[in-house]
Amino acid sequence: MDSNKEEPQLLPKESVQDMAKDVTYICPYIGALRGTLTVTNYRLFFRCMDREPAFVLDLPLGVVSRVEKIGGASSRGEVSYGLVCKDIRNLRFAHKQMEDSLRKSIFEILMKFAFPVSNGLPIFAFEYGQVYPENGWKVYDAQAEYKRQGIPNESWRITKVNDHYEVCDTYPSNLVVPVNIPDEELKRVAAFRAKGRIPVLSWIHPESQATVTRCSQPMVGVNGKRSKDDEKYLQAIMDANAQSHKLFIFDARPSVNAAANKMKGGGYESEDAYQNAELVFLDIHNIHVMRESLRKLKEVVYPNIEESHWLSNLESTHWLEHIKLILAGALRIADKVESGKTSVVVHCSDGWDRTAQLTSLAMLMLDGHYRTIRGFQVLLEKEWLSFGHRFQLRIGHGDKNHTDADRSPVFLQFIDCVWQITRQFPAAFEFNEYFLVTILDHMYSCLFGTFMCNSEQQRVKEELPKKTVSLWAYINSQLEEFTNPLYVNYSNHVLFPVVSMRHLELWVGYYIRWNPRMRPQEPVHQRYKELLAKRAELQKRVEELQRDVTNRSASSTERAGSPTRSITPVQTFV
Amino acid sequence: MQTDLKKTPQPPIKKLEAKLLPGEIVVNEVSFVRKCIGADSSHGDLWGKLICTNFKVSFITHDALPKQRFQVANRLLGEHDVPLACVEQVVTVNDAKGKQKVLCSNQKLKFNPTELILYCKDFRIIRFRFDEAGPQSAKKVCLAIAHYSQPADPQLLFGFEYIGKQYYGSLGEQVNGVDPGGGLQMPLFDRPSEWDREIKRTGAAEWRVCSINEGYVVSPSLPEYFVVPVSLADQDLKQYLCFFTAHRIPLWCWNHPNGSALVRMASISDPLQQRKLDQRICSAITKSHPQRSDVLKSDLDKNLPNIQDIQAAFVKVRQICVIEPFEESEEKWLSSMESSRWLEYVRAFLKHSAEVVYLLEGKHVSVILQEEEDRDLSCVVSSLVQLMLDPHFRSLTGFQSLVQKEWVMAGHRFLHRCNHLKKNDKEESPLFQLFLDCVWQIINQYPAAFEFTETYLTVLSDSMWIPVFSTFLFNCPQQRTENSMDFAKSKCIPMGEEKALRFPPVWDWSQQFTPKDQALFNNPMYVGKGATCVQNGTVKSFRRTKKNYSSTLRGMPSSLRNILMDGHDSLTLSRRNSLVPRLKPDFSQIREVVESPTERFFRDWVSRPADLQGMLIPQLLPSHLALWRLYFLRWVPEASIPKGGPVTAYHKLSQLADEVEKLQSQLRQYKGATPASTTTSTPSAPQSDHSRMYFKAGSTHESSSTPEYLSSSFPFSPVGNMCRRSILGTPLSKFLNGAKIWLSTETLANEAL
Repeated sequence: MDSNKEEPQLLPKESVQDMAKDVTYICPYIGALRGTLTVTNYRLFFRCMDREPAFVLDLPLGVVSRVEKIGGASSRGEVSYGLVCKDIRNLRFAHKQMEDSLRKSIFEILMKFAFPVSNGLPIFAFEYGQVYPENGWKVYDAQAEYKRQGIPNESWRITKVNDHYEVCDTYPSNLVVPVNIPDEELKRVAAFRAKGRIPVLSWIHPESQATVTRCSQPMVGVNGKRSKDDEKYLQAIMDANAQSHKLFIFDARPSVNAAANKMKGGGYESEDAYQNAELVFLDIHNIHVMRESLRKLKEVVYPNIEESHWLSNLESTHWLEHIKLILAGALRIADKVESGKTSVVVHCSDGWDRTAQLTSLAMLMLDGHYRTIRGFQVLLEKEWLSFGHRFQLRIGHGDKNHTDADRSPVFLQFIDCVWQITRQFPAAFEFNEYFLVTILDHMYSCLFGTFMCNSEQQRVKEELPKKTVSLWAYINSQLEEFTNPLYVNYSNHVLFPVVSMRHLELWVGYYIRWNPRMRPQEPVHQRYKELLAKRAELQKRVEELQRDVTNRSASSTERAGSPTRSITPVQTFV
Repeated sequence: MQTDLKKTPQPPIKKLEAKLLPGEIVVNEVSFVRKCIGADSSHGDLWGKLICTNFKVSFITHDALPKQRFQVANRLLGEHDVPLACVEQVVTVNDAKGKQKVLCSNQKLKFNPTELILYCKDFRIIRFRFDEAGPQSAKKVCLAIAHYSQPADPQLLFGFEYIGKQYYGSLGEQVNGVDPGGGLQMPLFDRPSEWDREIKRTGAAEWRVCSINEGYVVSPSLPEYFVVPVSLADQDLKQYLCFFTAHRIPLWCWNHPNGSALVRMASISDPLQQRKLDQRICSAITKSHPQRSDVLKSDLDKNLPNIQDIQAAFVKVRQICVIEPFEESEEKWLSSMESSRWLEYVRAFLKHSAEVVYLLEGKHVSVILQEEEDRDLSCVVSSLVQLMLDPHFRSLTGFQSLVQKEWVMAGHRFLHRCNHLKKNDKEESPLFQLFLDCVWQIINQYPAAFEFTETYLTVLSDSMWIPVFSTFLFNCPQQRTENSMDFAKSKCIPMGEEKALRFPPVWDWSQQFTPKDQALFNNPMYVGKGATCVQNGTVKSFRRTKKNYSSTLRGMPSSLRNILMDGHDSLTLSRRNSLVPRLKPDFSQIREVVESPTERFFRDWVSRPADLQGMLIPQLLPSHLALWRLYFLRWVPEASIPKGGPVTAYHKLSQLADEVEKLQSQLRQYKGATPASTTTSTPSAPQSDHSRMYFKAGSTHESSSTPEYLSSSFPFSPVGNMCRRSILGTPLSKFLNGAKIWLSTETLANEAL
C-alpha cells in the first residue's frame, strides 16, 4: 500500500466515484480520525493524513451489509453513517452536512456502489480485468475429478440426463448414479425428491467402494407418500457396495424439524419403506438459527471483548456448539464410510446447505487429496458451487436487502470447521490459515466470479468463466503465501478429529482480527520457513566446501586412492 | 492366599519382584491383582502383583499393554508405578456390599476391598481389582498405601532414606549415577559467588550480596545469601529486620538494563514503623538506580487472588477436566471452565506481571512487590516479570535458575503447598502449577521464544510428586538443613563438613530421564543466543512478501496496526456504545473513555513485530488465553487426538532443526580440518545422540511422516492411567453421591458407614 497517496491504487477498470475531505472515521479502538474518504466502484478508501504513519482503511464495498444514516444533523452540523459489514465489524463515519442540498452525500454514492444489484449496476467482478497466469476456472473439471475417484466403474456411471439442467436446475450437469438405474427412472426419482435433487455420488472409498451420496429430502408429506423408484434407487446405492448390507441415511436436521417438514410436503425416509436403511438425525439447526448465532457472536467479539464472562458469553452465542454438531455429523459420516465400510446418503431439506457442509467435511476427513490447496479448491467447486449452494442468496452480493431471511453464514461455518480440523492436525493440510481467511474475504469482496450466482446453471448463463476472474487464479498465482510449510502428505490417512468442546476454539484469527490488541501471526510457520532457509544456506556451504575438498585432493596426487572425505547425502523432505 | 484360581485368564506364575531404589523397602504386597486398562470392559486388563514400598505403589506384570502407545519412561519409576507422594486419595470399594471408603493413615477398614482406586496429584486415576487376590493381603496393601502416602513427618519422606543411603556406600559413590548438584552448569543461588555473578550479569552495580543470614541466624525463611542496595549497611538491615513479617527484609530480584530494580519484600509488621521504613527502603533503592528513579510498590495481596482462591480454582478445573463424565460436561464446558476461575487467575497473574513490566520498562522506575509473607504470590509475579523482560530466563538453564532464585531460595513453602504430609489441607495451593500455566500461555503465544517445551513444563510439575529432590521437599533452605542434621543424627550418617544432606535438585534431569528422552525438552523453534538463529538476508526473503496482485482486504489489519504505533492520545469505546443500531450522532461521549498508559504501552508493543530476544508481553485478551491441554487433558482418552495435536508440528520442526544441526556440525568439521594436512579427522556425519532433537531427520520418506504413536497426549498416554469409575457401569456421580468436587476425605469417610 502506497501510504503517500490520498487515493487508493486502483485495480483495472476500477474508477473513483466520489471523494470527500474532512470525513471523520470513528475508530472503536483509537477514537475519531479525520481524513479523506474515497469511494470507487469497488472499494471504500479512507485515509487519515494527520497521523504518522498514515491511517488507512481499505475495504471492498462487497463486505458492506448495510449503510445507515444515524440520527439527524447534530449541533455541529455533522451527519453520521454506520456501516455494518459482513466480515464481523462495523464502521462509523461522520461528516459535515452538505451545504448544497442538491449534491449527494458521498454515502449515498457509496450505497449505490455497495449495492449494485439493487441499483441496476453490474457487480464489479464483471468489470475487473486483471490477467493471471492461470485460468482459475479450469481448476475443477467434474469428469477429471470423478476419474480420479475411479468413476465410472462397474457400479457407477456418469449420466448426461441433467446436461441442460432439465431434471434439476440446481444440480451440475455431470451426475454420478448407480449403473443399473436408467435415466428415465432418475426422472421419476427426481419427482419424489425436493427440487428434483436426487441422490448422487459425491465420493467413493477407493478400497471398500462405500460411497457418500447426497440429495434433498423425500417428498413424503403428511400422508407418508412412498416412491417405489426412490426405494429401488436407494437399494441400488446400497447394492453398489458389496461390503455392507446396510445403508445409512444421515438427515442433517433435528428430528423435530424433519417431521415438521412433512407439513410442507417434505419429510424423511421411513425405515419401513427403505429396508436395510437406518436413518440418523444429526440435529443441525437451520440457516435462521445460524444467522442469529453469528449475530450474537459479533456482539460478543466486536469491537471489544468484555474482560469478565468471556467464556460464558461465548457459550451463550452457541456458535461453537453449532460448529461441534456439524463436525460431529461429518465425523459420523466419515466413520461409517471408513470404519463401517457402509455407504451413506446425506440430506437435509433442500440439500444445499447442511448437506454441503457435511459431505465436504466428511470428504476432507476421508480423502487427503482435498487437504491440498488445489484439492480443496476442487472440493469447494464440487460440493458447494456445482451442487448449488446458493451463495448469491446466502451472502446477498450487491443486494441492499440486509434483512433477507435467505442470508446465512453456512459457508463461513464450514470454513470455521475446516480451521478447527487444521488446528488438531497442524501438519495434515497443505494450506494455511491465511488461505481460509482469503477465501472468506473474497467470498464477500465481489472481486472474483467464483462465489457469484446460486447454481451451475446460472453461472453458465451469466458466462462467469468468460466474464469474470476466478479466485483460484489469484490464489494459485502466489501459492507460497497460502502454503503450510509443515504439511506432511498423510497420503491415505483418514483424519478423525476429536469433536469436543475441549478442543474447539473460537477462531480468533478471523473473528477478532480487527482488534489492534491482537497480534496476528503464524510464528510456527514463520520459524519453519526460517529453518528451511537456514538449511538451504548450510547445504550450499557444505556443498561448496565439499567441492573444494574434492578439487584439492584431485590436484594433489601424491596420495594414493580416493579421498576419504565423504559427505553423507543431505536429505530433503519437504 | 493363592488358592482360588479358577478363572481364565491364567495369572502368570513367573516370579514378580519389585525393582527397588537404594533405601527402598517393600512394606506389603498382594498377587493376582488386575490393573484396569480398558475403557468399557475388562478386556486388556493386566494381571500382576501390587506392592507398597516406602516410596511407591508398584504394579509388576509380565503382560504388555494392549494398545500401541507411547509413554516417556522415568528412571526412578516402573511403567505402572506411582510414587506415594503422588497419591492424593486412596479409595477402597467393595461392590458386593456396595461400600466404599476413603482411606487415611492409621485407619481401619471394615470390609474386604474388591477394588482400589488411586486418585493422583498428577490427575491420573488408577484402578486395581482384587477379584482373584487374597482378601486379607489386598486389605493390608490398601491400608499400607493409605498409611505410607501420609507421612507424619518430613523425614519420613522417601528422599531422606534414599539420600541417606549414599553416605553408607563407599564414600563418594553416586547413587543411581547421580552426583547431586555437582555436574550442573547452573547456579543454585546458595553461594555468594552465584549472586555476584547475577549482579554482574544484570549490571546491578549499586547492589551487593549480604550475608547477615549465614547460618540462618536472622531469619529462618530467608536464604543465607541475598542481595541488597549498597547504601544499606548490614547494621541498618539488622535494625530493620524485626519490623518485617518473619524478618523478611526486601530482597533484590533483578535489574533492568535501564537501571530499574525489581525487589520483593514482606509487609511491615509494625504500623508505627511503616512510613519511616518505607522511606528508608525506597530511598536506598532509589540511590541504587543510576538515574535515581522513583520506586513504586505493588501490593500483591490486594490485587491478586489468594492461595485458597487458587486452590479452589485448581480443584474445580481438575474436577471438570478429569472427574466429570466426558459427554455430560460438554454442553456447559465453557461456562464450567469460566466458573472454575482458573483461567481468570492465570490471566490476573499475567496481567499484573505485565503491568510491572510496564513500570520497569516503560516508566523506568524500580518496583517493589509486596506480599504479607513474600513467599507465594511474589514468587509467581517476580518470575513472570523476569521471564517477560529477560531472554536469559527463557533458556533452559536460565529458567531453572529463575525457579531456584525466586522459589526455592526465596522460601516458597513447597512442603506445605504440595501438602506432602497431607495434614495441612488449608496450606495446600498450586502456586507453582499456576506459574507453569502462565509460562505455558506465553509459550503458546510465542512458541519460538523459549528453549524448552510444554513437555518440559509438564514433567517439571510431575517431579513435584517424586519426593527426592531438594527443589520441592522443603519450605525453605533452612528447613532442609535442620531436617538433614536431625536425620543424619538419628541414623548416624557421617555428614563430614556438610551442612545438609546432598538432596539433588530436580534440575539434574539424568536422574529421571535418558538423554534421548531429555531431548523432548528442547524446542526446535527456539530463537536464542546459542540456537540456530537465522537473522540474515536469506530469511528476510521468506517474510511475507508484498503480493503481486492486489487483494485489497489484506491491508486492513496492518494499516490499523500502523496507526497504533504513534503515540497520540487514543480512546477506547465500550462494546455496547459502538453497535451501530445504538449509535448516537453525537460521539463526544466516546472521548470520555481514555485508554490507560499501560494499555497504550501494551498496544504499541503489539503493533510492532515481536523481538523474541527482547521484551515479551503476553496478549491479555480473555480470548487469547487457552486451556493447557497437554497438562490438564493428557490422561483423558476421549480428548486424545490420534496422530494429531501440536506434537505433529513439533515432530516436523524437530526433524528440520536436526537436519540444520547436522549440517552445521559438518561445516564445523570442515572448517576444523586443515585442508592441507594429511588428515585423519575425516568429517563424518555427526553422531545422532549428540543431537538436541528428539525426532531425528530421517533418510527415508516414512520417517518424515507422522509416526503412528503420536497423539495429542504425547509423550504421555491415557492407557491405564485414567480409569474413571463410571467406566464399569456405575456412573461416577452416583458413586460420589452428589459430592461435587474431588472426593474430600470427610465426605467419603462419612459415607462409608
